[in-house]
Amino acid sequence: MSIIVVGLNHKSAPVEIREKLAFNANNIPSALSQFLQKHPSSEAVILSTCNRVEMYVSSLEGTLKFEDILSFLSEFHKIELNYLSSYLYHYNDDRAVNHLFFVAASLDSMVLGESQILSQVKEAYTIASVEEATGKVLNQLFQQSLNAAKMVHTKTSLGKGKVSISSVAVEFAEKIFQDFTGKTVLVVGAGEMCELLIKHLYEEGARTFVVANRTFERAQELANAYQGQAIKYELLGEYLAKADIIISSTSAPHYVIHVDQVKEAIKHRRGNPMFLIDIAVPRDIEPGIANIDNVYLYNIDDLQSVVAQNIDERTREIEKCRSLIEEEVEHFMARLEEMKIEPAITHLRNHFHNIGKEELNRLKPKLKEVGKEDWEQVVYTMERTINKLLHHPAKVAKQEAKNGGGYRYVETIKKLFGIFHHHSNPPHQ
Amino acid sequence: MMMGFFVHSGFLVFLGLESGNIPITNVYESFISLLWCVLFVYINLDYLYKLPSLDTFLVPLVTGLSIWAMTFDGGNLTVAVSLKNFWLVAHIIPIFVGYAAFTISFSLSIMYLTQQRQLKLKLFGSLFNKLPSLEGIDRLMWKTISFGFPLLTLGLVFGAFWVRTQNILGEMWYLDYKVILGLATWLIYAALLHMRLVASFHGTKVACMTIAGFCLVLFTFIGTFFMGSKHAFQKVNEQTHIEVLKDFQVK
Repeated sequence: MSIIVVGLNHKSAPVEIREKLAFNANNIPSALSQFLQKHPSSEAVILSTCNRVEMYVSSLEGTLKFEDILSFLSEFHKIELNYLSSYLYHYNDDRAVNHLFFVAASLDSMVLGESQILSQVKEAYTIASVEEATGKVLNQLFQQSLNAAKMVHTKTSLGKGKVSISSVAVEFAEKIFQDFTGKTVLVVGAGEMCELLIKHLYEEGARTFVVANRTFERAQELANAYQGQAIKYELLGEYLAKADIIISSTSAPHYVIHVDQVKEAIKHRRGNPMFLIDIAVPRDIEPGIANIDNVYLYNIDDLQSVVAQNIDERTREIEKCRSLIEEEVEHFMARLEEMKIEPAITHLRNHFHNIGKEELNRLKPKLKEVGKEDWEQVVYTMERTINKLLHHPAKVAKQEAKNGGGYRYVETIKKLFGIFHHHSNPPHQ
Repeated sequence: MMMGFFVHSGFLVFLGLESGNIPITNVYESFISLLWCVLFVYINLDYLYKLPSLDTFLVPLVTGLSIWAMTFDGGNLTVAVSLKNFWLVAHIIPIFVGYAAFTISFSLSIMYLTQQRQLKLKLFGSLFNKLPSLEGIDRLMWKTISFGFPLLTLGLVFGAFWVRTQNILGEMWYLDYKVILGLATWLIYAALLHMRLVASFHGTKVACMTIAGFCLVLFTFIGTFFMGSKHAFQKVNEQTHIEVLKDFQVK
């Protein structure tokens, strides 16, 4: 019984390679079934995200090698084996388990502590289990990896604090406004960053967007995407008083929103706050605006410093996460050792019960007149004796197996009781 | 907070049983009753609107006022026996519940200004994360003021009836400091509500005015004693007792 992971991620391979090896929801089932046809006594899960492609395999006899998985991947994606191998990593057993727990807890992610990976791992596992590609080992492994990830997130501040400019900006907006419904968002410029912020605000409930841009068509395009209104760039000043949130990101070499304009606008806002986000370099919004009452101005540095601080905080949590995960890996490995011995114990039990049955069959004709109830008592006593005899050795064997070397006990049991030709439980149950 | 409220309630019941009155008949009792109202209104508002981390601001205030109440020398002032009637309750209870609402709106204002300062100075500590949005605090401020104002009005109207019908403050009742300041308090909150309703006034200025309003509440409640106004309270001494007894016997 062994566990192997083979894969690549954003650290080991550039996007050109990752995309070649990537799977999608449509071809994962066929890949899994092809793999299992080739290696029938194994289990497999494929995890494919934009930052990683990994294949987790458990082999019952422990005969499957990393090279088998590698050659399957190269065959399936029709990529040269040599070309691929330099980008791949592979881990076995406890290191493989450790790797999955790290991945699920988002300790191996590009953005440390992001929560998306957890659902991606969950989805990868669900697909594999629907395809009946998982069995005892991988079921246990993936369920435990999800639990471990959740535990890491609750016990540490790994996922706390926003780590992107747009999410930090929205978080600040949430400290000013209770909700965004009915709020007007004025967007100056129509670049990628503006769009990201609009998207974020839209997700949080904002519905009124006004877009002003030097190129009117681009403003229209962006406004239409969010059922907003595009205005001529020259009319910007007129819309200031209506705006609760102003996002500015133009490439203008000078300020586009001035102190006087905002002072005038705020007079008409009856004490309602105004939140301005300047993500342009050089800056679009005159810094003096920050001194006006009920006006809150944040520039790219303000936002970036919060992002950096939050990333720092997350990084500081890594050690704590690592030790939590190590504990979980230990638990899992102990459980795995226990699982290794379970089939042997089942066989031992069957072996004893078979002997019992044989002896009962031999006895029955010898007893001439025995009532149904009396016979049931005899059968019951036999079963009870066997169970009692086996209870203690089974318990001790399981206990000892937890500390490693489960196979040693399996071998001993086989030898002691003469169970030579057993077939372990098949996977997929 | 709940624990404190129950202990406070227990103490109030004890005071009431000891004196045989609703515990509002001397300055100390009034103070304790007022603080009970603050806790009572807070707990109900917290249940209705979930006031995150308001206790951070309210607990020091209530604790401070409690210590003040315990050390405050009210000059042994008490309400004359003849005044312990329906009007006393009708006058005091609505005003106290109103004051309690204003105390909470005051705490909300401090909270507003704290959060506003943190946003302006870009101080993003744990307090920043704990506090709700400015708009959220502003809405709650408005709710507490509009809850307290009608009660204050009611209490003042009952007081005016009382003073007119039973002549308890003398002919020149309108020159009593407490009456004048009470009216000023009413005016400041009326102005706030007016600005909010008519001019939909928000933000820092509202918070500052709410703080000013609360200072006036405190001054009306306590400060007037320093100014020599007794507002129908009288010194407890031998003479008063005899007079009160005589008065009682005549009746």
